[in-house]
Amino acid sequence: MSNYETYLAIGVVIPLISFVILLFFGPRLGKPTAGWVAVSAMGASCVLATMTLVGWHGEDSIARMSLTAAASHNQFHWADLGAVAVRIGVKLDSLTVIMFFMVTFISFWIFVFSIGYMAGHSDEVAGKSKYHRFFCYLSLFGFSMLGLVVSSNLLFLFIFWELVGLCSYLLIGFYFDKKFASDAAMKAFITNRVGDFGFIFGLMMVFFFLHTLDLDGAAAEFAHQYRSESGIFEQGFVINLFGWQLSGMTLATAMGIGLFCGAMGKSAQFPLQVWLPDAMAGPTPVSALIHAATMVAAGVYLVARVFRLLTPDAQMFIAVIGCITLTLMALVAVVQTDIKKCLAYSTLSQLGYMIFGLGVGAWIAALFHLMTHAFFKAMLFLGSGQVIEGCHHEQDMRKMGGLMKKMPMTGLTFLIGVLAISGFGIPGMGVGLGGYFSKDEILAVAWDRSYMWNEPIEHHGDAGHAEGDLQSTSAGTSVAVRIVPEGRSDNSPAIHRRDPMPTVTRSPVGTVESTPGLHPSLRDSNVSGIRNPPAINRRATFDRPYGADRDVAALTAADTPDHRNAESSFRLVSDPHAAIPSEPRDSSRADAPTSIKAGIPALPKWLFWCALITAYVTPFYMMRCWWMTFMGKPRDQHVHDHAHESPMMWFPLVVLAVFTFVASYWVFRPMIADAAAVATNAVAVVGLDGVADTAGQAHGELIHVHDAHHWLATGVGWSWLIAFVVAFLIYRNGLALGSKLKALFGPLATLLEKKYYFDELYGFLFVMGCRAVAQVCRFFDTYIIDMFANLAAKITERFAAFSGRGVDANVVDGVFNGLAATSMDISNLVRSPQTGRIRNYVLFAAGGAAVVILLVLFLVSPLAPGTMLSAINP
Amino acid sequence: MLLTSVVFAPLIGAIVCLIMPKELTRVVAVLTSAITFALSLFLILPFLGGGDASRAIEVFGGAYGEKLHFVHRLPWITGETFSIEYFLGVDGLSMPLIVLTTFVALLACLASWNFNEWKINKSIKGYFFLFLLLEMGMIGTFAALNFFLFYIFWEIMLLPMYFLIGVWGGPRKEYAAIKFFLFTLAGSVLMLVALVAMFFYSGEAVAGGAPSGYLSGVEITQGTFDLIELATNDAIQQHFGASSTLFLGRAFAPLMFMFLFVGFAVKLPAVPLHTWLPDAHVEAPTPISMILAGVLLKMGGYGFLRLCYPIFPTGGVAWAGVLATIGVVSILYGALCAMAQTDFKKLVAYSSVSHMGYVLLGIAVMTHTGFQGAMFQMIAHGVSSPMCFFLVGVIYDRAHHREINRFGGLWLTMPKYGTMATIGFFASLGLPGLCGFIGEIYVLLGTFEARHQFAWAVPAAILAASAVILTAGYVLWLIQRVYLGPEREEHAGFPEATGREMLILVPFAAFCILFGILPKHLFFDYVNGTLVNIVDAVQAATQTGAAYAAGF
Repeated sequence: MSNYETYLAIGVVIPLISFVILLFFGPRLGKPTAGWVAVSAMGASCVLATMTLVGWHGEDSIARMSLTAAASHNQFHWADLGAVAVRIGVKLDSLTVIMFFMVTFISFWIFVFSIGYMAGHSDEVAGKSKYHRFFCYLSLFGFSMLGLVVSSNLLFLFIFWELVGLCSYLLIGFYFDKKFASDAAMKAFITNRVGDFGFIFGLMMVFFFLHTLDLDGAAAEFAHQYRSESGIFEQGFVINLFGWQLSGMTLATAMGIGLFCGAMGKSAQFPLQVWLPDAMAGPTPVSALIHAATMVAAGVYLVARVFRLLTPDAQMFIAVIGCITLTLMALVAVVQTDIKKCLAYSTLSQLGYMIFGLGVGAWIAALFHLMTHAFFKAMLFLGSGQVIEGCHHEQDMRKMGGLMKKMPMTGLTFLIGVLAISGFGIPGMGVGLGGYFSKDEILAVAWDRSYMWNEPIEHHGDAGHAEGDLQSTSAGTSVAVRIVPEGRSDNSPAIHRRDPMPTVTRSPVGTVESTPGLHPSLRDSNVSGIRNPPAINRRATFDRPYGADRDVAALTAADTPDHRNAESSFRLVSDPHAAIPSEPRDSSRADAPTSIKAGIPALPKWLFWCALITAYVTPFYMMRCWWMTFMGKPRDQHVHDHAHESPMMWFPLVVLAVFTFVASYWVFRPMIADAAAVATNAVAVVGLDGVADTAGQAHGELIHVHDAHHWLATGVGWSWLIAFVVAFLIYRNGLALGSKLKALFGPLATLLEKKYYFDELYGFLFVMGCRAVAQVCRFFDTYIIDMFANLAAKITERFAAFSGRGVDANVVDGVFNGLAATSMDISNLVRSPQTGRIRNYVLFAAGGAAVVILLVLFLVSPLAPGTMLSAINP
Repeated sequence: MLLTSVVFAPLIGAIVCLIMPKELTRVVAVLTSAITFALSLFLILPFLGGGDASRAIEVFGGAYGEKLHFVHRLPWITGETFSIEYFLGVDGLSMPLIVLTTFVALLACLASWNFNEWKINKSIKGYFFLFLLLEMGMIGTFAALNFFLFYIFWEIMLLPMYFLIGVWGGPRKEYAAIKFFLFTLAGSVLMLVALVAMFFYSGEAVAGGAPSGYLSGVEITQGTFDLIELATNDAIQQHFGASSTLFLGRAFAPLMFMFLFVGFAVKLPAVPLHTWLPDAHVEAPTPISMILAGVLLKMGGYGFLRLCYPIFPTGGVAWAGVLATIGVVSILYGALCAMAQTDFKKLVAYSSVSHMGYVLLGIAVMTHTGFQGAMFQMIAHGVSSPMCFFLVGVIYDRAHHREINRFGGLWLTMPKYGTMATIGFFASLGLPGLCGFIGEIYVLLGTFEARHQFAWAVPAAILAASAVILTAGYVLWLIQRVYLGPEREEHAGFPEATGREMLILVPFAAFCILFGILPKHLFFDYVNGTLVNIVDAVQAATQTGAAYAAGF
């Protein structure tokens, strides 16, 4: 076990220990102490995470590769599912390391904040202090979330996934004496369960078709099966699902969508978004930690982790869902008056961005957005918590205003958060906050896939050789950048970007059908609703053929020192199985990736435009939120008089604000890029961004350098300023103008305020529907089934009464009186409840049994020819 | 001998109960069940590798390396043409269930400690006598390897249960007790038919003298009640499985399978034979509900795994679709019915129907994972559902009603109890990390895995998986209505769970968590051997079953 693995494993366990301590000794520890136990536990984890991060940052790519491989061999045998062994291990790679750091770091500061937040009366449930319980749950959450991050196994990911859901349930319902809180908790859990249903389906598919639940193993198996057209991709392999024929790619797509359903629940994507705004019923630190920074991002993390199992259609599905979410939720945020709800909708919208980013193939940008968003959104929520606590639990922004003077630190840090989420930056200078880089990158990739996708591109540079540095290649028209090693015959590794391999025809008439090795389902081009363009896509070659995947290890910087120097930004992490000898490549699928790329559809244009327009909406509602809260004149003197801030609460805000800056520039982006080399390396994946080391570089790369993108760069880059100005103009003089505008939009505003009536719809359709069905079942059970049972009893009783008086009376009486007497003797002390009538019941037993035998024998005829084994496939 | 003493220790205790003065009855009963539990723990030793494995008897021809431990066999009833043995033994299938039985019985006995507060002033001696008699019947059923003996223990269980519900039960106790009695009896009558038929048909099969399936060097010349022999003797298996073997003009194996199945399905209980269960639970006193849910329902699942599948594998293939359908219907129907209940105990009872549906589904698909899941689900449910019933009992003792809608805020009133309730009900919900999850996911994966064999496997898996939403729905709604919300005036004075109550709840909660975290090390390592053998045997029969199917 390497140090890193040990650090991470211990880091996961420490919060669990804290949980156990608080569970048993919490009440004895008392009010501040219990909190400090949780804080110090999380602090210790955070120290370990920092050590890991620093150490990992110092390792070069070869060392990282071997560490990853070593970690994947060092696992605990947990259980066997049939023939499949389930092992627990630490998934050690760059993504884990940064996620772990992010979670521990943010958790630590939110725990600190919580001590300040709970210092007042916020810890009381119906007048009784539940202080220790709050920190108990928080510790459990810390454990579960960290476990989720380090899981190397899909089943364990799912287990921790549910545990964070449980913590979320318990913490949303922390004030469980309030009906709305327990309602919200229940809603969150059940909505998540709907997603989990899909997740379980996905797990079943992975288990069944890929024969492993290990993340890397599953990805390798997926690629192998695709390449060799076996297993899930087998020709003629069809699974019938309620009349829905699934085969090959569609089957794999269903698997991907199933797994994504889990993410839809946790990350509150449309149409399962309804729980997150309600989840704000929990204490504000919980909203910051669980429902903004970490748990809701777990869905995004999951998609990133299973990215290698996603087919182009599954990705398209993800992109569409993400796009719908980000657009609809941003619009709702505009009309919110509750400060936490406003942030909640903005969280939904930002999560939509991340999911959208993953869907369009902007893996790095999406995860980078996750990181930066975690910091600034946690900070924004904590800021709102400070405001709410300071204003005596007033959450309505209409009653606030002018709080800047009373809460300067909060106001300033909140402003930084607003700037970050709005994508503050100055186009052309590479200066900006996190959201600027990540959001723009996602949009650039979306634009590329919408508009630049089917154009043939000119070829320049020799394929198979290292290109020059970044600048020289970036003169091309393409945004797409991938690392493409040459075929295995050539031992000299080759890295080229932006230059497709010349082997691929760039003819616009090369149809999909003509490509050998293409899967039939692709050939039919009905894989999804979106038709494939007939021309071979120019993206066709950007991904490396999967066959070369296993010798990515050969592609080390050491082999090409010149190249390494020129491209210091490159880091490549290999597949952990690099040491395993490669399998012979199946010739029929040698250029399978090429063909599958050809099948990847362009993005519908509305997806891009929705995301772009939302880039204008986001800064607007965030500025509106900030202005209404902190600027202008105080609108409620009572609230204003109470407003105050405490150092225990604003200090974490400052720390997070600092990290919002730091996260925008250093450490995170390169490490994500590093992780992307493996995570997006798959046969059926379109990955677009993936080289630039730092955010600024990527940004320049993607948006600024190319002429064609200039309008995009400007249009996206200044959106924050334009929207800020609009918000300022509307709200600088109080709420009057806003109300007028709202009246002007009338029904639309109502629609937004009612959140598109989703709650009502679901309430009617599912909650009422389910209860109605349940009542029907209950009726059926109580009246119909029981009626038959009672009827049978009655009939037999009559029959018995008749026969009892008949010829057999003496015999029957003799036997059963004897039986009754015996049982009465046994239970000498017991008065039998049924003395007089027992013969009837026993007779019924005999009669009933006879009836059943006759029924089975003569009515139910399972033994008729051909019916018995019809269920079995020949 | 150890096994025999485990089986009959409760009987001795029961007799002592009758002799001792009234005040000491409960002490004797608790001591007896504690001793029985302690004795039963020794049964685990050979499975850990620490026991005397040399005395074990190989079963399934030893071909699969499976062994019977603590075998105790004596000639019992010997006639001219038949001999019935007293034959006890444990393998991976029965060991966990016996330990579960003694464990639940001990805790249920502790739950009966406040007998005098029940306001049913009926003989305490009789109660504990019958209670221990019931325990003997249950352990005996799991330990018996002779069908005749099995049947006798099966029926022995019935009578104490009838009186325990009928005498110490609630307002509709007579109705519930008789319903329970008759449903079970109707099932066991079919079992009796199968018992007799199997004896004679096995006699036909080995008429010329066939070598024993697992006792080397022994030839059997007449019919047998030996369950292991019936499952492992090639001559018997061939005769039973042949399509030319007829019973009342029907193929033998599927018909016998169905006879046995009906008997066990009543106990399981499978929809639509479940209607005795809610009534029985609602009327039965808390400890009896615990026994009923924790152990008696497992008899059904155990019967499938011990009798139906090993002896009539072809029958299992023939009826797989029907069984799986019943399983899926039970899961969904039970969950929906549970959602509509307003009686706390009835809700838990219907949730049992739903959970045991997973057992049936897992068994019906005949995959390794499915069988393992079914077996685990039985143990998991055996831990979580008695806990839930006891949780109901605790507040029933205080409130004297079970109307869910009249409760609320109990977590504030009784914080410790509320925490325990959360663990118990979340385990029932199938939360990962607790015991309920493992069984469900294994069954679901196992069902999906059976896709090769059955076209309906995938839809069945998906339908069953959709129950996770319903389950979450009714459990969380229940928790909300009972434990969350503001305190109610009428319940504000409820005392916190007492030491005795915590003593019962904590072991349950601990096992709920432990089984969820370490399923392999606490469970699968001991039972997989047996289960794999059974599945392999069934699968092998399925291969020949294809040819057999052509005969229909």
